[in-house]
Amino acid sequence: MQALLSQTGLALRLAFRNPMGLLYGFLFPLIFLAAFWALYRYEEVPLALHMGELLTVTVLGGACFGLATTLVSERELGVWRRYRATPTPTWVFVTAILISRYLLIAAAALLQLLVAFAVGMPVPTDPAGLFVAFTFVTIAFLGVGLVIALLADNVPAVQALGQCIFLPMLMIGGVAVRLSALPDWALHVSAFLPGRYAVAVIQSCVTGGGLGDRGFDLFALLAIGLAGFIAGVTLFRWEPSGRRERRTNLIGAVAAVSGWVLVGLLAHAQGRIAAPVTVLEDVGSVSDYVAPRVTTARPDTPSDVVASSASTVASEAAPHVAAPEQGISRPEPAPAVRPAPTSWREVTPADFDQVAFDRLPSDDGLVAPVARDGQEPDLAAVDQLERVRAALPGWPPGRVADPVQRVRNLLYVAAVPDLLQMGEIERFLPAIVLERLSAEFSRAELARILFWIATHPLEGEDSAIGQLETAGLPGVSGPTRAVRGRAMLYAFKLLGRLTGQLPARPDTPAPDAAAQP
Amino acid sequence: MTEARPGEPGAAPRRQPGVVVRGLSVSYGDVVAVSGVDFQIEKGEVLGLLGPNGAGKSTIIDAITGLRAPSAGAIEICGVDLLRRPADAKRKIGVAMQTTGLPAAITPREALEAFGRLYGVAARVGELEARFGLEAKSGARVATLSGGQKQRLALALAFVNDPELLVLDEPTAGLDPASRRELHGYIGGLKREGRAVLIATHDMDEAYRLCDRLIILHQGQIVAQGAPGALAARVGAAMRVEVHAGTPVQAEWLSAEPLFDHLVVDGFTVSFSTANLEAALARLMAVLSLQAVEVVTLRASRASLEDIIAELVQRPGLE
Repeated sequence: MQALLSQTGLALRLAFRNPMGLLYGFLFPLIFLAAFWALYRYEEVPLALHMGELLTVTVLGGACFGLATTLVSERELGVWRRYRATPTPTWVFVTAILISRYLLIAAAALLQLLVAFAVGMPVPTDPAGLFVAFTFVTIAFLGVGLVIALLADNVPAVQALGQCIFLPMLMIGGVAVRLSALPDWALHVSAFLPGRYAVAVIQSCVTGGGLGDRGFDLFALLAIGLAGFIAGVTLFRWEPSGRRERRTNLIGAVAAVSGWVLVGLLAHAQGRIAAPVTVLEDVGSVSDYVAPRVTTARPDTPSDVVASSASTVASEAAPHVAAPEQGISRPEPAPAVRPAPTSWREVTPADFDQVAFDRLPSDDGLVAPVARDGQEPDLAAVDQLERVRAALPGWPPGRVADPVQRVRNLLYVAAVPDLLQMGEIERFLPAIVLERLSAEFSRAELARILFWIATHPLEGEDSAIGQLETAGLPGVSGPTRAVRGRAMLYAFKLLGRLTGQLPARPDTPAPDAAAQP
Repeated sequence: MTEARPGEPGAAPRRQPGVVVRGLSVSYGDVVAVSGVDFQIEKGEVLGLLGPNGAGKSTIIDAITGLRAPSAGAIEICGVDLLRRPADAKRKIGVAMQTTGLPAAITPREALEAFGRLYGVAARVGELEARFGLEAKSGARVATLSGGQKQRLALALAFVNDPELLVLDEPTAGLDPASRRELHGYIGGLKREGRAVLIATHDMDEAYRLCDRLIILHQGQIVAQGAPGALAARVGAAMRVEVHAGTPVQAEWLSAEPLFDHLVVDGFTVSFSTANLEAALARLMAVLSLQAVEVVTLRASRASLEDIIAELVQRPGLE
């Protein structure tokens, strides 16, 4: 154990004395981070939606190039030959270099995260899960790096072999180019590459539901990593020109690729090839859900078209995103009925009839999901949901004097986790928010306020979004129009619940409900 | 008065050997690098392995230090079977390889401490640095050390575990004369400390100066072994003499003389090998003086390894 600690410490000290190593290991990840930040600077949540890609590239570089280059250059210098003459067993040297490399990659990733926090990225939804995910990803790529080191005779060969893995992973492996942008054939290929599983599991812990539903990704990474380590044991050599029997090379090569092949075949067998749906969806505008009014009665009213003040929510909120998740057809012009209300107090039940509840995104979809009645959250989510439930009565933004602002603030509690795709908890938060709102307002009063907010999503102020940590949730910084868009949807959905036009659904979905767009 | 060499008359009684090698064979695939080698090294004895490149010196060194598994044979290090108990055997061996074999950014102090831990001992860093003249470079990176300093560090590393057997692979290769003399001094010290020492070299002068006994290898086999002087005398090629004369020399003046082996006369130049330098020179000077030939330069040097091996290969069975 003393030798292992000593070797690990020595490897770390030597790594920090290598300027090129530091450049590649620490500066490059930060350059990538800055590049992503610049590339996606219009996003509402800085960098959070790209941490899967960023951290995967960091691990990929540190393992496939950093580990392999260190190992091969030391072998060329005769360092490993010299080690072998000592009584310390081989596994100590190999484990030490793997541990030290893991720590170096972890330090680079941590640095990346800290810089990301500094520019406004929220705290990951599942920090502990992120640590586990990062570890699995690193294990997978260290296994790959070990195989590269043992196949390469010299450092230039490391670069060549590393690029053979690095570039395909970036281009068609779901690391640099999103899976949703890949052609069908590339999706099939990507299932054999560890990159897509690495990105998916890390991203899930940063903005999604954590590790809960990422079992296959973890399995894939572990299988690929173990295959690499088994190949490493078979192919291990102490000297640069170590001669190996052809049979040994064959066994090593088969072991190395077996993990990739196994994972790819399983992914195909289980139908895990399709790209995940894009995270940021266009939620549509108010006019998509409310029939426009003809304003013959009050032509001078500022809200002659109810949607006018909010019609640009989606486009302003997410100018970069593509078409909505589901096709939202514009409603047919409705005949004029009456002037629009000028305050929430003027809203009447007749206004509710203008809402096309059936056009709202499905409760089972990615955008503004709502749990079914009686549906139980995962055990991992229960604690967090309870923390939110307990925090809301005392949450300052939920106690402001202006009732509309108060409701708006509480709607953000559901909207932000939806935007960040916080997996298991996001669909249960609307019910908790509604529970809190129902305790504050009468049913009629609440329905009017919700209608008002839904049709005026850009009004009021949004400082509450920055105070969500005190409600047990991650906060976001920067422009928050995307959050307002999600709050609009939840306002409509809760209004539908209150008015009975969106009835609560039983836990077991009806066959036709699942097919609802 | 010269010191008696182990195995020679007057030497101290034998103790447990430092190394026993029996029937050692090493193959790389179909290529046999070493075949059926037997030898042993006593404690307090310095054994030189000599041979041209590819003779099998490094392969034997690798096998004895546990770097390469033999395809046949047995190796014992101070009574420990290397093949069955490699870790125990390696604890008794100190190794100084041809190259320092250290990361460029490590310092001598760090290297000594780290290697001490690899042997499970606390290295006496200060003592080793003082002994091998490394105090001033204790915190310098290996990449900045001179060739001599690197070799001294390699030797210091071989001592971290206070070994009973020292294995030195070409210890003076690439060193300047001063560093070579310094290293020769260290190696003499090892012998006096009663350690068994195995040196691989292709420098005959070094072998004569340092070794009690030599093993000469050729194509993976031992072609001769014995004390350096005796071995040279046996092959009749201990010294090579080259003379430049002021006037031309006739070959017939010298060709009948049995003291002159491999005689070559080429105008003003005469060269030959001899096992009895003193007598050969006296005879040469007498002949040249008789013919009134003035000697301009005279140079006597030990026969090269190539000369000896050529002689041994031509005359096998000299052991």
